[in-house]
Amino acid sequence: MKITFTINNKEKTVEVSPHQRLLDVIRKELGLTAAKEGCGKGECGACTVLLNGEPVASCLVLAPQADGAEILTVEGLLSEEGDIHPLQQAFLDAGAVQCGFCIPGTIMTSYRLLQEKANPERQEIREALAGNICRCTGYQKIIDAVELAAEKWQAGGEVQ
Amino acid sequence: MFGFGYGEGFPDHSIASLEPIDNDKILIRTSAADVGQGVKTVAVQIASEVLKLAPEHFVLSEGDTHITQNAGSTSATRQTYFTGHAVKEAAEDLLGNIYHYASQEFVTNHPEMGTKEGRVFSHVDPDQEMTIWQLRDKLADEGIELKGRGTFFPKTFKPDPETGQAEKVYVGYTFHSQVVEVAVDTITGEVTVEKAYSAVDIGQAINPQAVEGQIEGGTAQGLGMALMEEQIIEKGRTLNPDMSRYLVPTAVDTPEVETILIENEDNDGPFGAKGVGEPAMIATAPAIINAIHDAIGVRFYELPVTPEKIKEALANKEQ
Amino acid sequence: MSKKYIGKAVKKVDAQAKVNGEAEYTEDLINEFSDLLHMRVLRAPHPHAYLKDIDISEALEVPGVVAVFTKADFPKLSEFGLIIKDQPVLVGKGEKMRFLGDAIALVVAENDAAALRGREKIKLDIEELEIVEDPLQAMEKGCIQIHEDHDIEVTHYLNKDMCCDNILSDNYIDRGDVEKGFAEADHIIEREYKTQFVEQLPLQVEKGIADYDNENEEIIIWAASQWIHDTQADIAQAMGVPKEKIRLKQPVIGGAFGKKEDISVHIHLALAARELKRPVVLLYNREESMIAQSKRHPQIIKHKTGVTREGKLTAWETEMIMDTGAYASSGPAVVRNAMFHCSGPYQVENVRAVCYAVYTNNTYCGAMRGFGATQMGFSYDNHMDVIATELDFDPFEFRLKNAFAIGSKTPGGEELNHGVNVKETIEAVHEASNWQEGDKDD
Repeated sequence: MKITFTINNKEKTVEVSPHQRLLDVIRKELGLTAAKEGCGKGECGACTVLLNGEPVASCLVLAPQADGAEILTVEGLLSEEGDIHPLQQAFLDAGAVQCGFCIPGTIMTSYRLLQEKANPERQEIREALAGNICRCTGYQKIIDAVELAAEKWQAGGEVQ
Repeated sequence: MFGFGYGEGFPDHSIASLEPIDNDKILIRTSAADVGQGVKTVAVQIASEVLKLAPEHFVLSEGDTHITQNAGSTSATRQTYFTGHAVKEAAEDLLGNIYHYASQEFVTNHPEMGTKEGRVFSHVDPDQEMTIWQLRDKLADEGIELKGRGTFFPKTFKPDPETGQAEKVYVGYTFHSQVVEVAVDTITGEVTVEKAYSAVDIGQAINPQAVEGQIEGGTAQGLGMALMEEQIIEKGRTLNPDMSRYLVPTAVDTPEVETILIENEDNDGPFGAKGVGEPAMIATAPAIINAIHDAIGVRFYELPVTPEKIKEALANKEQ
Repeated sequence: MSKKYIGKAVKKVDAQAKVNGEAEYTEDLINEFSDLLHMRVLRAPHPHAYLKDIDISEALEVPGVVAVFTKADFPKLSEFGLIIKDQPVLVGKGEKMRFLGDAIALVVAENDAAALRGREKIKLDIEELEIVEDPLQAMEKGCIQIHEDHDIEVTHYLNKDMCCDNILSDNYIDRGDVEKGFAEADHIIEREYKTQFVEQLPLQVEKGIADYDNENEEIIIWAASQWIHDTQADIAQAMGVPKEKIRLKQPVIGGAFGKKEDISVHIHLALAARELKRPVVLLYNREESMIAQSKRHPQIIKHKTGVTREGKLTAWETEMIMDTGAYASSGPAVVRNAMFHCSGPYQVENVRAVCYAVYTNNTYCGAMRGFGATQMGFSYDNHMDVIATELDFDPFEFRLKNAFAIGSKTPGGEELNHGVNVKETIEAVHEASNWQEGDKDD
């Protein structure tokens, strides 16, 4: 079957099978490999993308469910010129990246959090990110990064 | 405490090389695996320091058995120490070669020369100046390759099999002390680690932010080992082979860690550095268990200390 | 002299590619291959059994299945392993499976679904054996031997009936005079500590792609490894080919923590790519990774410590038994690393330690952050706290009194003459935490 959706502001029509996972469509059919598979069961958060603005584990979403949807992945945060987004920059500045496997998913959850709440408390950031497992960092610098991005936003920099 | 390097007389070394490429880059060849800890960044910082050249001028080779030489494993808390040393020696070798060949071009002595941001120049005659890449091209015309190579191969000794004693067992030791504050919910048995204070005898942090990252991540893994993680294997079968039944710490489980770096530059590592990867996690589990004892007066001897075990122990204590 | 780039929070050189999605981990390379074959591994149905027969005929008939490889296809295959070559690449007919991760057949197909269907169609006939569940059982008199050819001469026995057939390695420290040290002590404190199987759980599980380069007659493997040159050597010796015919390329690694030191996908992929002359991919899932790849060794640790009424340690005796699982992996080194940290950063003149690594039918154990010293660290610093509590010492004062200083000797007898700032670390956390005895909220 054919489905049509918008991903990173571009409309795409792809041929999928009814039981294909959204994660596979994004990674294999569209070649957008930032979203990662860490468990395949919705337990780790590495495959998190925004589906109609909400973070979802794309390994648990079936492709037909994305028909007509709007999807955002980490690749979609880059500017037209390819510059990284202030939230991505904050992850670099805070030293929040180690192996990096969880980072694309973690950034998408953080992005949604900052849209919802411009200036979250550290505990609120922790709770928002509870579904994004990171085995490297102990989360502290990830939380620093989200705080840093929030500060930039407060200071007038656009988060979007 | 953690003794780093393979130790015990095992051959343990790292080989690295540096060469100017393109018109403003230096390629660092190393096969050291960066698993996220940051050995690539450490290599760049060390080469930057030696060559007085900003980090953005360095690129790293891909890990490939056919284009790099042995750097040993990313284990034993050894890469900053071993590959750090090898890169430092390679950078010094390259610097020595730059001086050697540039002094021939300038017809000057080494003490009269300097390097900065990719340029080599004569203090005596300001017109005598060229970039590393110009020097490389000149030498290439003469069939000479400008590069630097470094190997670090320190010695340890095999302990006596009967007594386990040797003059030098490991190349160095990293020490890490930690205090943790815990709260124990005596009804649910849940333990919350509220705060951790770490002090690590690191010699010299090459990258303090990365060292903190190791301590914070190590603390999370130590917390997991102390309180929640266990692969349950019965009759050879794993009963919990997924992440909903094998639990690791999430962002709501881990504490804020305050890290203090003890930097006395008194170690044999590059610029006095020690490794930190493994010692980062060792202190946490005992600190948590000792804190639980301090909080509720119950001593645990077996890991992990799950809420069920806490509840059971408190019930037994009441009786 | 002040330094410009050392001691600075220079941005990680590979971080930008990781935040913008450009970083290429192994699985991100899949799209670059047009005619990729998919592999699935059939693993042991029982943790301890002889493989009597294997029938792959139905699997070969599944549409899409290209090949099913068993040990019979590779008569020259040798065992692999980081230190001791005791782990089979494939368990052949008449041979033993020793844990549930042992590979029996490799199914290669045009797509993953066909590989899975093919794997279901393989029929095995096995002869089940007694399962050795833990190291204490493995050391009981009359216990079945897990590695039939394993031979070891153990120097020290814990008791006269002890079975040594399953002991992978025995290790000892004997310094000073422990009996004299206990005689000098005012108190002797003895406890037993136990640790569990821990999974390293890097977020990226084992994945790999292999291809055959016809021109150079080389096998190229893209897969994570914590040490590509060692992995290359292990693959080459197992396959019986020169090292330079195995080319390992290192994509970005999604965490390791020790789990990516061992061979996983590598040899299976190399064999298939060489036989089929096509690229092949093998992607473990989390369950397969947890069952088939290494764990942190569970340890049973006994410490017996002599201490004076002033709080000085006079003797330290450690006995440790470690479950190494079905294969050696890093076990022979892990047990020694644990042993050389047996009394931690505390100065003791008289030290004795006896440490064993013991085979069982559990998932094999290998490297994980701390390499045996983490388990030992849990026990020695818990033990120090037990002593402080029992004898009513201040926990900081007691540690400071015994902590290493210049001139101290490690359990391995190494005299420390520089880089010893243990006391500074203890004092620093004491101050930072604003520690006060009895500082508690209800």
